Amino acid sequence: MQQLADKLIQHCALLQGLPHELTYLLVEIVFGSLMLMLFVAPFAGIISWVERRVAARMMDRIGPNRVGPQGFLQWLADGVKSLLKEDIVPSSADSFLFRLAPYLVFAGMFMAFVSIPFTSRVIIADLNVGIFYIIAVTSLVVIGILMSGWASNNKFSLLGGMRSAAQIISYEIPAGLAILVVVLMSGSLSLQEIIKAQGAHPWNWFIFDNPFSFCSFFILFISSLAEGNRTPFDIPEAESELVSGYSTEYSGMRFVFFYFEEWANLYLIAAVGVTLFFGGWQIPPSVREWAVGVHFVLPHILEFATFFIKAMSLVFVIIWIRWTLPRLRVDQLMAMCWQYLIPLGFVMVLGTATWIVLFPQGVPLVRYVLFSGTLGLFGYFFYRVVFHLRYTKAELQFNPFV
Amino acid sequence: MLKDLVFLGTAVFTIASAATVAFSRNILYSGFALLGTFAGAAVFFILLSSDFVAVTQVLIYVGGVLILVLFAIMLTSKIGDMNITNRSINYKIAIPLLLLFLGMLTQLMSGGSWDFGEEKFQSMVVPIGNGLLTEYLLPFEVISIALLGALVGAVVIVRREIK
Amino acid sequence: MTVTEYFTNIKDTATSIFEGMTITLSHLVRKPVTIQYPDRTPRPVKETLPDRFRGFLKVDMEICTACLACMNDCPIDCIKIVTKKDEALKERVLTQFDIDEAKCMYCGLCTEPCPTGAIHFTKEFEGATEDLSSLLFSFVPENQVIIPYKALKKEKEETVNA
Repeated sequence: MQQLADKLIQHCALLQGLPHELTYLLVEIVFGSLMLMLFVAPFAGIISWVERRVAARMMDRIGPNRVGPQGFLQWLADGVKSLLKEDIVPSSADSFLFRLAPYLVFAGMFMAFVSIPFTSRVIIADLNVGIFYIIAVTSLVVIGILMSGWASNNKFSLLGGMRSAAQIISYEIPAGLAILVVVLMSGSLSLQEIIKAQGAHPWNWFIFDNPFSFCSFFILFISSLAEGNRTPFDIPEAESELVSGYSTEYSGMRFVFFYFEEWANLYLIAAVGVTLFFGGWQIPPSVREWAVGVHFVLPHILEFATFFIKAMSLVFVIIWIRWTLPRLRVDQLMAMCWQYLIPLGFVMVLGTATWIVLFPQGVPLVRYVLFSGTLGLFGYFFYRVVFHLRYTKAELQFNPFV
Repeated sequence: MLKDLVFLGTAVFTIASAATVAFSRNILYSGFALLGTFAGAAVFFILLSSDFVAVTQVLIYVGGVLILVLFAIMLTSKIGDMNITNRSINYKIAIPLLLLFLGMLTQLMSGGSWDFGEEKFQSMVVPIGNGLLTEYLLPFEVISIALLGALVGAVVIVRREIK
Repeated sequence: MTVTEYFTNIKDTATSIFEGMTITLSHLVRKPVTIQYPDRTPRPVKETLPDRFRGFLKVDMEICTACLACMNDCPIDCIKIVTKKDEALKERVLTQFDIDEAKCMYCGLCTEPCPTGAIHFTKEFEGATEDLSSLLFSFVPENQVIIPYKALKKEKEETVNA
């Protein structure tokens, strides 16, 4: 972003009069808000529609299909409806904290987007403590959730808030360990550097680098699900026991803030996963050369598309898991974290460190074996899917738009 | 100039939230006000161009310590009914301690140079990492073992006897 | 928990999630079973309703005998019938026959005692409205009277009975 700001200062006479720091600040604010408005907000909205459609089809239903073409504008309708709703603060609630909590949750989530890369150039700020920063600022969300749980003066809210905080704190540890594996391999905390340390081809991604990093991805993925309060770890807002958890007393736009955070978090989980393990925006050098020859913007579009498609695949998997797995009990949740993920996480960190010492250049054979093994697993997976369809003699409809 | 403004704003904010922590009659408000204090401290670290320490500050204090403090407050039953005040100030001990502390601060502040000039921002990740694993390896390990001991001790204390 | 159990747990988790995900993915490509009421159904919903469906009540005023049996049997008093002696016609006439569908619970107790079958269920069921009073059906037009139906002749009734 600094390059962009420098260029702006060069070309704009008005900005030359201002101190450079101020220009940088302005550029960051403008670019940041633009991204918030043009990318994250619509994404969070549209993904709510996508999730409802996918969920519906997985339950043999159709899902929202009336507002706009195929129900695509459902998210706008929902948003407008929530905006127009009455803003209710319960009379026995702590009014100040009750109002403050959604903003903390919201801010914690969007501060994390600052260091999420989109292409090799487009990133709000390529912090050299990038991934560390993301873990740190998302802890603001926990404070917001605790605050909302307490301020609502409702036992369900409080229970939800406490559960959520306990869960997020616990799962930060395995997530941190899994991230440490990547940091060990790339030698940097900056997200752009981590991506640059990987290659464009799948076998050059960090996930296939060695068996330990392969397992680390799953540890990170499970922990991020838990940190994002996604099913099967949605005990903080378990509908069947806690009404709606910490958001029980919220209505209108404040309620939307919580859900906004949840859906934006979906992209965050996916983007961090893609950045750390799936090669981020990397495109093959030959393609890049060809693209640069056509137009200087084209490589960025390709990079963005690569990143976005990878991220969306992960988002789809997260949605898909939500409609597959039942919710964990609290004791199971804690057992999963402390008995399984954390010991395994330590094994992965030590294993990766040993691997790096033994094979500083990596072992191509292991990469190919892991990659083809994964492909084989996918093959078996689809074989099982076809098997289920044949077995039940189900009537098929591949067209997602009914 | 901008940096000074940010510094002043953050200083006011930090001191205000620290004052809330100390003087609020509601212990939960004190807990939440700690958030402002910790966040303000993180901003100071950023202004001193030590990014790693700033992020660690947020991660450890906001993400860990503060949440545990809030947990402890919320899990204590009827904490709202308790009469918690800071009224019982023992001036005979407090004032000499305050003077001693102020003296130490003045000593420290007058000792160093406060002009950082227009230094370029430099990442602190690599120096800290290298320092921890080379020069300060022994203290680092000693602290690690002390923490491990504390962890094991905590487990031993809370563990119920299994018969 | 032994070491074997520990790793068996991990293996079981992985395989059962794998299998579960295949099942949900297979449902993604199945044909939805949703009936898109009201406007995108293959046939109008009214045609698909069974014959004895209990929709709104309707009274056929041509054959209503004004016996008040339905009003008396209604457990929630949603039927209101008013009769009076019309001086001009020298007859007992109906001046009001209101059914409040908003109250009706579709129990069918009014249709059973009706001697002529005048009060009966229709297949109309779409009662969503913004104004509850629009569900108050009056079967006697305002400021009018209706002469109740009388059994025609004694002998005809007898022949029917025979």
